[in-house]
Amino acid sequence: MARWGMVIDLDKCTGCQACTIACKEENNVPFGSPYENIRRLAPYWNKVIAASEGEYPSLNIEMIPMPCMHCDNPPCVQVCPAKATYLREDGIVVQNFRRCIGCKYCIAACPYGVRNHNYKEQEEHPYNRPDSPPDRSVIGPWPFPHRTHGVVEKCTFCFHRIDEGIKEGKRIGIDVVPACVEACPTEARVFGDLKDPNSHVSRLLATRGSFVLREKMGTRPKVHYLHK
Amino acid sequence: MPARKDRKTSKQAKEKSESLVVSRRAFLGVTAAAGVAIAAGHAIKRPSIASALAPQEPTEGVVTEKWVVTSCLNCPTRCATKVRVVNGRAVRIAENQLSKVSEGKLCPRSHVGLQVLYDPDRAKSPLKRTNPQKGKDVDPGWVPVSWDEALGEINRRLQGLRDRDEAHKLAVFCGLNSISNDDLIRRFAGAYGTPNIVTDDSLGNEAEKSGQWMADGNYVHSAYDLERTNYILSFGASVVESQKPLARNLRMWGKIRRERPNRAKVVVIDPRYSVTAAKADLWIPIKPGTDGALALAMANVIISEELYDANFVNNWTSGFDQYKELVLSQYAPERMAEITGVSADVIRRIAAEFAQTKPAIAWRGRGATCWPDGSYASFAIFCLNALVGSIDVPGGVIYQEYPSYREMPAIAEDRIAKAGKAKPSLGSNREGRVPVAGVSANQVADSILKGNPYPVEVAIGYNSNFNMLAPGSGRWDEAMAKLPFYVHVAPSITEMATFADIVLPACTFLEEWGYDHCPPGSGFAEMKIKQPAVERLYDSLSIADIIFGLAKRLGGAVAQSFDGTGDDAEGFVRYRTGTVMPWDEFRGQGVWVGAKYEFYKYDRVFKTPSKKFEFYSANMEAVLRSSDSTSCLPHYKEAKFLGDEKTYPLMLSTYAPLLDIENGNQNYPWAQEIYMVLHGQGWSNFVEMNSETAHGLGIKDGDMVWVESSFGKVKGKARVFQGIHPGVVAIANGQGHWACGRWAKGMGINPNSILGVDYDRLSGQSTFFNTRVKVYKA
Amino acid sequence: MSSEFVPIEGKSRGYWFAVAVVAAVLLFGFICFGVSYVEGHQLFGGSNVIPWGMPIVLAIYFIGLSAGSLILSSLTYVFGKVEYKPIARMAVFLAIVLIFGAMISIAVDLGRPEKFWRLFMFFYLNNMTSMFAINGILYGGYFVISILYFGVILAQQQMLTRIMGIIAVCWAVLVHMGTGAIFGFVEAREAWFSPIKPLEFLSAALTSGMALLIVVTIATFKLSGRDIKKEIISSLARMLVVFIIILFVLIAVDKLTHLYAPARGAALYMLAGPYSWIFWFLQIGLVVVIPLVILCNPRWRNSIGAIVLASLSVVIGVFFERYYLVIPCAAYPMAFYPGKVEGVYGAVGYFPLSIAEFGLSIGIFAMLALMFILGLRYLDTLPPVEAKEPATASLEGPAAASEQTSVA
Repeated sequence: MARWGMVIDLDKCTGCQACTIACKEENNVPFGSPYENIRRLAPYWNKVIAASEGEYPSLNIEMIPMPCMHCDNPPCVQVCPAKATYLREDGIVVQNFRRCIGCKYCIAACPYGVRNHNYKEQEEHPYNRPDSPPDRSVIGPWPFPHRTHGVVEKCTFCFHRIDEGIKEGKRIGIDVVPACVEACPTEARVFGDLKDPNSHVSRLLATRGSFVLREKMGTRPKVHYLHK
Repeated sequence: MPARKDRKTSKQAKEKSESLVVSRRAFLGVTAAAGVAIAAGHAIKRPSIASALAPQEPTEGVVTEKWVVTSCLNCPTRCATKVRVVNGRAVRIAENQLSKVSEGKLCPRSHVGLQVLYDPDRAKSPLKRTNPQKGKDVDPGWVPVSWDEALGEINRRLQGLRDRDEAHKLAVFCGLNSISNDDLIRRFAGAYGTPNIVTDDSLGNEAEKSGQWMADGNYVHSAYDLERTNYILSFGASVVESQKPLARNLRMWGKIRRERPNRAKVVVIDPRYSVTAAKADLWIPIKPGTDGALALAMANVIISEELYDANFVNNWTSGFDQYKELVLSQYAPERMAEITGVSADVIRRIAAEFAQTKPAIAWRGRGATCWPDGSYASFAIFCLNALVGSIDVPGGVIYQEYPSYREMPAIAEDRIAKAGKAKPSLGSNREGRVPVAGVSANQVADSILKGNPYPVEVAIGYNSNFNMLAPGSGRWDEAMAKLPFYVHVAPSITEMATFADIVLPACTFLEEWGYDHCPPGSGFAEMKIKQPAVERLYDSLSIADIIFGLAKRLGGAVAQSFDGTGDDAEGFVRYRTGTVMPWDEFRGQGVWVGAKYEFYKYDRVFKTPSKKFEFYSANMEAVLRSSDSTSCLPHYKEAKFLGDEKTYPLMLSTYAPLLDIENGNQNYPWAQEIYMVLHGQGWSNFVEMNSETAHGLGIKDGDMVWVESSFGKVKGKARVFQGIHPGVVAIANGQGHWACGRWAKGMGINPNSILGVDYDRLSGQSTFFNTRVKVYKA
Repeated sequence: MSSEFVPIEGKSRGYWFAVAVVAAVLLFGFICFGVSYVEGHQLFGGSNVIPWGMPIVLAIYFIGLSAGSLILSSLTYVFGKVEYKPIARMAVFLAIVLIFGAMISIAVDLGRPEKFWRLFMFFYLNNMTSMFAINGILYGGYFVISILYFGVILAQQQMLTRIMGIIAVCWAVLVHMGTGAIFGFVEAREAWFSPIKPLEFLSAALTSGMALLIVVTIATFKLSGRDIKKEIISSLARMLVVFIIILFVLIAVDKLTHLYAPARGAALYMLAGPYSWIFWFLQIGLVVVIPLVILCNPRWRNSIGAIVLASLSVVIGVFFERYYLVIPCAAYPMAFYPGKVEGVYGAVGYFPLSIAEFGLSIGIFAMLALMFILGLRYLDTLPPVEAKEPATASLEGPAAASEQTSVA
């Protein structure tokens, strides 16, 4: 069984945010308003944060893309009362809208702030995708269902692409990658099987110094970052 | 005491009547409460974002799906894309792997194309103005009309001008259009008989071009072989944020930083800590306007320490001795350190590094060139490339190749057209200007206002928006209000469109035919197709079809000039690209990639009298009639600022963040909500100032402040930031719209509205960075 | 002898006025809920930074009050202290009403309230490692147990009462420690993560439950013209002082531990951050300082008015203690990466007050008040009125109250 992970090279990343937009495009994630931007009501499956240190003129700002970390020890899975979020065998932390009761415990428990509650109906936004059955709360098989308000959503490593790719016998990580990895123009994001020693991700982790965010939390995230 | 029984009955009766009374009261009370509650319910409910597009009909999932190869037009890079169309609706924009410019990769703006296409605030039909008053806050009173009526009215006006032999009184404004549309627009202007083609390129890109022109005779944007370079010395050029071709820069960034054995070093010289500076190896904050001085100081170091490429300099350059004398005598690093604020140590070190790391490129951006002497700064920086031999070598400056489109037949120039084009063009205060520079866009506003050299009667704008982009944008509001008849051709109603008499809804780039090629950057040529991914939305027409329609209506020589060029948009594209690639192949693949780039073309690339790279510009000498030798050499002159230093102590700097969609419109939520990545916020821009400066002015992060120049003031939110030179205030472009749509209107501030109007002497482009301002709490 | 406990008459205009007002507020709250059910939680103050809002504050507040109230009823039925008998039934009834309110509050805070039944699918559809799921068992069980407890009290089964009392008390302790664990076991939120949280919640429950009991007792007895012995109130007040001191010690230990650790950003934010005034004035001031000042003063500690004032202060203060934990403490920005995270991702969260949420909250209060008032009328919860005439069952107590009531 594969164990999907992602490696993001912070040296190559230029903070262009193509990943953020491509993810919204792929997964029918609603956009927000200025008010929602300040209050952090708008959902972001992938966000890019800027962390600054130092003073003029010796200043450094790191731009760090943060998708769901798909932790191997996920606190969100631990606290979800309805089994709406669970760790799949291949390592992806999945979100099931049908079971989700919207208690928001997972949002409280996620150390990375990557989970988003739907504060309003998706259809309030003019842009939505028609290639989805418009019925609410579709389990499992995607793509891109309309989520009702009240449920929690987050990055899924585009498991719909991966599952489809495996069915078609394609190489995951090479032919088939999540939308953010595909969109990254500098090729800073790499996706693949962490258990496969020959995969690009494994080789990168072996040759470059890497770290994960908030390691002390013990969540064992599967999104690794390469130092600048 | 009453008898017990009586008491009981009376008590019962009292209870009954009490309970009736109470229950009636309770009933009234509850009803009243319910009424209040229902009213409160309306107050509680927050109005949702109106959906202008009809809600999607429930479908049974995917009925039709297709992939269409086309290309993007959200910036001049024009990347090749593939669009997935499901049930007739575009849902995803993906890369076209056949494109080699960026190895298929796309920047974030290409994905915003979906929101450009489905913008709910697009013009849905031709509109006619009913309110004769024109102004910034004036409601035009749009009334929808038919295409026939609109084109008929326009034809009347155009015909009228020609009848009166006044073809030159037509002004054509060009914003960001596809190359094919651009070709058609120019052809129309040429056949019609007007010399007045005003492009937004000429707002801010000419100084860079004239700098190169002085050196090697090519009046072009410089192109660099980014893939193979080992050292990038950027003067105010934000390579991975705004320099074109952006997608190529992003892909090559990844390549040269981590995918080769040699890691390229990047040094950014910029008063502002841009995104590129954040990713670079060294950020050198510099006093604005002194980039030319720094470049010459570096040249001083390179020459005095004999680190220059003697082979190239001796064999392929001319005027080196005069250049060397000037540089060594006047541009010692110690002196330049005072002027630029960069220490002499750093100058020496970086110059030596630059010269000894081969190949290296010196990249100049708007921050260095948009000054009154910007052409010379451009020249000075460009010469650094020649000093180290980085001209037409792998990893150096290269000369862009273009597809060889089928040559169109000569336009049928009738007498009217010839007479019109012989007249002087607008903005033609050309004293001392290089002749090859085009119409200076920002001067056109003054021309219109003063009626000099003649009043403009009719203007047509194609995706133009000078009312937002030009410095002193208020003048454009006045000028546009003065125009008797203005036609705006664009998908949406931008600021410039609000002054129109007729708005023609053009297609977005996802609905029309066209061909495009990459701007300078790749070296090798690449041609991309534009073909409709979806049916035209609303009652829109492509610009090509509009021009063909207008030409046909005008008849005569104008119509003749368009004969045999394809008759409509698709035909035109097929006609022009026929010599490059078979049509079906082009439609299927979407991209034509030209031959591999050939380096070392020293015998062909220098368009100078000496046929060499000229440190002493003979091209310039031919233009100037005096023999002031300094004017033919790269030199630095202190910039004159607008506004005195005492009253306005800070310098205003503007920049374009990556998500600034360059079609004049910003009504796109995906771009708006993550607009400022370094500041972690969207939907606005900020008044960015240094923390020490802010502290001195008593301004804290988040305060509302006024930024005032001697030309106006704007109120914005302060952002106290470590990444900016203490004497500089920076405001990002792309916000401050007062038209365009619900997601752009009223967001942020437009710094161009308070910039003063000044021009680069040689090229006539506008200056953007020499306005002084003061900042104080609101 | 059922004449030991009687319902109130509930016929006065004051009574019906109270019912009408409370019902109107309840209707308003219901409408707020309805609108938010349709429009989504965009109408509330919560966000992806501060996930929980007023309904959860109310939920944990009510659970605390309920658990406290129930535990204090055990003074009579488990520990046999007969002097508290007059208020014991009311305490149990209050506990039932409050736990019901807490469950409604939680259901209302769910994004999809119609799926609340999923919280009760223990072991079948629930992930039992989640404190929410465990609390589902605890709250549901607590509700059932407290109803059974009240039932055997009403049926005057002494032996069963004792047994149910012991079970109820132990369960109540678990309930509120479980509630504390919801917050204390979440490592991601540094302001919440602490092993002391369950104990802190338990002591807050006892404190607030005792204070509420005092306030409700005085209010109910006075408004229905009953007498209450001053000694009862005074002894309750003395117990309240002990509870307050224990609560303060636990809060202090928790904050000091976090201050000593080098990673003290969250503790500094809690104690000296932008919202710390809520902590110092509303939490410490109202829960610790004012009550202790009043109740330790020899002159005031025996005055009913002063005791009621102190108790009211505790009741309000503990509400703010819950509020401070759920909302400002969640607003503390998470440190994703060393350095200063720019913009909205590094900013302290912002929780605006909204009409819908406010309406919902007071609607829940109104619902509980309505249930309590109606319960007083239809159930045998209170000792009989000492006065002779029914007509004098008014706001004033009878002039000459009888000394003792016999205990069943």
